[in-house]
Amino acid sequence: MPATILVVEDSKTVRAMIRAALVAAEYRVVEAPGAREALTTLEDTQVDLVITDVNMPDIDGLTLTRTLRAGSRGRETPILVLTTEDGEAMKQRGREAGASGWLVKPFHPDQLRDAVRRVLGRRA
Amino acid sequence: MSTGEVTIPIGGVYASGEPMVIKTLLGSCIAVCLHDAVRGVGGMNHFMLPWGDGEREDAGRFGVHAMDLLIGAIMKAGGDRRRLVAKVFGGANLLDVQGPVVDIPRQNVEFGLTFLEEEGIPIVSTDVGGRRARQVHFYTQSGRAFVKRVRRAGAQVRAEEQARTTPSATYGGITLFE
Repeated sequence: MPATILVVEDSKTVRAMIRAALVAAEYRVVEAPGAREALTTLEDTQVDLVITDVNMPDIDGLTLTRTLRAGSRGRETPILVLTTEDGEAMKQRGREAGASGWLVKPFHPDQLRDAVRRVLGRRA
Repeated sequence: MSTGEVTIPIGGVYASGEPMVIKTLLGSCIAVCLHDAVRGVGGMNHFMLPWGDGEREDAGRFGVHAMDLLIGAIMKAGGDRRRLVAKVFGGANLLDVQGPVVDIPRQNVEFGLTFLEEEGIPIVSTDVGGRRARQVHFYTQSGRAFVKRVRRAGAQVRAEEQARTTPSATYGGITLFE
């Protein structure tokens, strides 16, 4: 049974790139264009990993991370942040919010798959 | 307030909520300028190829990453992507060369326009194609852009050609938390 990954990213083009990178490694991918849609998806879909952008309209990725960590669904789900934000202070905020890892964009598909493999492996 | 100046190179991305003029010189490359009129936030990128091909590891020069980085920079500067409008410049065919290289300017223009359409960002003006290089000045606060055709741009053509054949890794890093 392949792992299911929820990709939360407001850019359709970047979402498609992330999907392509993950599908090539035979992961199952579900997409959400924003945090609200992600929360709705999580109500009825079991996911093994969440990959989220930070800067999104409406609710940002760190708020989404904190919401998941505080709720009943997704409390234990690994969350990888994938963002153009590369400052140490922002990374620290991500860590405090409960993120499992921080990937700085632009990403290479191999890098992304490597991070996913490591985070999913750690959980097993 | 005085207006600062910044010149971005091939692969460059810059955005600001302060009044700045962003300058760049374009041959076959594309510059996309994005502006949020409510916040007075504007930014520009300068990319040379639409997509990476897996072997070349110089992500910042590719359109999709350049657009992602620009939108990220705009949002960091206080802009809201839902209000953004775009101006697209460049994609000149400066070389009388036959073969696949001829398609690069056209592919760049198509990528820029398609990306913006897919992302629902309205394009308010374009000045693309042709055979002359362009000097672009973009004002971050007003969102106005000035384009001058440049007759002699041999140095820019050489810089673009060199950039295409000289990979430089610019991918971000991974940090896994305990």
